Amino acid sequence: MTLTATGPDAARTPGDSYAAHARRWLQENLTDNLRTDRAFDTPATLRERIRFEAALHAGGLAGITWPKEYGGHGLTLREHLEANREIGLAPAPNAVNSIGKELVGPIVMAVGDERQKSGFLPAILKMEDIWCQGFSEPGAGSDLAGLRTRAERTADGWKINGQKIWTSGASKSQRCLLLARIGKPEDRHKGLVLFAVRMDSPGIDVREIRSIDGDRSFCEVFFDDVIVDEEDMLGAPDEGWNTATRVLSIERASNRMYRAWRFQSEIDHLVAACRSDRRAFAILRKYDAELAAARIAVEMLKGHVETLVDHMLAGKSIGPRGSFPKLFWSEAHQRFARIAFEIVSRFPPDAGQALRDVKARMEDIYLSSRAETIYAGTTEIQLDIIAKRILNLRNAA
Amino acid sequence: MADDLDPQDFENTAKAVMEACAATDAVSERTALLAEAGLLAVTAPESVNGLDLPLEFAVPICRASGAGLLGYPIIETILLSKALAAADTGIAGRIASGEVVATIAWRGVAEDGVVGAAPMAMDADLVLLFRADGSAVLAPVGNAVKPEPVEAFDVDAPDALVRLFGPADGIVVDAATVQELKQEAIVLRAAYVQGSAAQCLSIAADYAQERMQFGKPLSANQVLRHRLSRDALAVETMKNGLVRALATTGAEAAMARDAVWLEAAKSGPAVAESAIQVFGGMGFTWEVPLHRHLRQMRAQAAYGAAADGLDSLAERVLTTSDNGWYGEIPDGL
Repeated sequence: MTLTATGPDAARTPGDSYAAHARRWLQENLTDNLRTDRAFDTPATLRERIRFEAALHAGGLAGITWPKEYGGHGLTLREHLEANREIGLAPAPNAVNSIGKELVGPIVMAVGDERQKSGFLPAILKMEDIWCQGFSEPGAGSDLAGLRTRAERTADGWKINGQKIWTSGASKSQRCLLLARIGKPEDRHKGLVLFAVRMDSPGIDVREIRSIDGDRSFCEVFFDDVIVDEEDMLGAPDEGWNTATRVLSIERASNRMYRAWRFQSEIDHLVAACRSDRRAFAILRKYDAELAAARIAVEMLKGHVETLVDHMLAGKSIGPRGSFPKLFWSEAHQRFARIAFEIVSRFPPDAGQALRDVKARMEDIYLSSRAETIYAGTTEIQLDIIAKRILNLRNAA
Repeated sequence: MADDLDPQDFENTAKAVMEACAATDAVSERTALLAEAGLLAVTAPESVNGLDLPLEFAVPICRASGAGLLGYPIIETILLSKALAAADTGIAGRIASGEVVATIAWRGVAEDGVVGAAPMAMDADLVLLFRADGSAVLAPVGNAVKPEPVEAFDVDAPDALVRLFGPADGIVVDAATVQELKQEAIVLRAAYVQGSAAQCLSIAADYAQERMQFGKPLSANQVLRHRLSRDALAVETMKNGLVRALATTGAEAAMARDAVWLEAAKSGPAVAESAIQVFGGMGFTWEVPLHRHLRQMRAQAAYGAAADGLDSLAERVLTTSDNGWYGEIPDGL
């Protein structure tokens, strides 16, 4: 695999839009084994995906808004949006290090000290450090007030004890963004501290959990007297977490910005593949109203995303409005996944390669989409946020 | 000029005018109020004393009209004051100033001898009739062109049939201008429906907090909180879809425009239906205005041929794709 590692400044032809630059880069670098529409090619290894993601950054398609001094490209959300449109339209793999780029990076920029910024941030973009998110616990999911993992200050540093769960990518990560408690569980939202924990620290035990799509990305992570250096605490106790929650409300609105265009790309793939075989196209036609609804949903999702980008570029606060695109996308995408699954399940047994490829992809999307209304705040949590913080509905007499 | 103005200012003005219009049953008085505030000719050129502003300035006016149950062919008037400016400055100016009331018969073509879906045609002086070749003619109401009342679904701005007795004479609008008028109508209708739906949500949310059941407000029940949250999502989706439809140019513009209209035509009435449910038995009464919102949104969906639009969008999805990533898959049809 040869990757074109040209930064945005070097690679862009004068007058070229950022979208055109992104499109060309992807055409040159998204090889068959990385493509998600080629189910029967030998899939890319983790190492190859990491190399691809590092090259995405070098090519100007990641770290776009991050400051140049920390390895970013110092551009705006406008360019980020343009690049993500093209990434979405392509059958490109999901990011290995999305936690690092979309969660950790913004938090470190907001609360980290200079040493942490210059140490952590470039390593994320170069894919030297993959990060996982150690927030959820068996007794604390969306309600982090129930968090029990403890951090105690000792002569050797902070001593961590506890258990995290649903920690995506923990088994391949170098670092964990860990949320722990320095006080008692009764303190609820007080006494919470953020740490950047090295995953090779003694006392960390990672156990993979197989998810419904057969993947082994999910993990349980056990912390048994794990010592974390003082310098790996992000912000002061409380201050770090409080700042992080503000950052996260913005990130929730802007992360995985390519989703609308990826959704469109999945529809495009399904239609193109069905058009390769008259029998499949006849099946597809039976679902024309549902497909039209899915395509409309894509446009509406673009509206949500673009409006939020406009707001952010204008310096306006996003707050709970980030719940709208999350809620809209996850449910619309599940509806599409259901009908796409039904369509491909009706393909004839002697279907050709194009149909077999799309069948495998849609089956995978159907299963993986079940998580979309659960992670990053369940549908029910999003509905609660809208009721409480947007509609301001009172819940007592 | 547009650089100095904010569409939001027009929304505030429009809301005040809607309140004034609600206080009178006389169409002539509403016309005067709307014209005086400059709301009828916001996109019309200066040659007809219009404000010559982009379509985004008409959006808040239509949104406020939908929310306020205006009872006036506001969408049609805004469109006609602009579309006729090139063909006849005089008549466009009279429409813009509120001197005459004009409407559009959205369904059928003049050649059929009868056209329909003409909001408030019974009160109109002029009706735009579409023709089979894509052009249209603005015909004066009279012996040759007679509106006829129907059992209108929208009780605030009832539509009528228009029968033609002989050839429809009047000012001809060329096919290209008609096409542009129809494209702009899609956006303005979506705005009208979004305003109406937002008002339904607001009414229902207020009621849910006032109405006590079992010692607590309705809004304390999670099932109702979530219902209202979903309605808020629907309203926000329409609103953001409109922003996108107004901002998108080039090859993607038609899809952005059609999508928000079809979304509004589906979701707008659903928000009204949901609000009726929140009100319980009261919601099913004539007195609570939710049915009027539901009626006007359903009427707009019919004027804009939403069901047909969904069919044609589906056809577009199945037959056209410019995603080069799948260009290697052979077309076997």
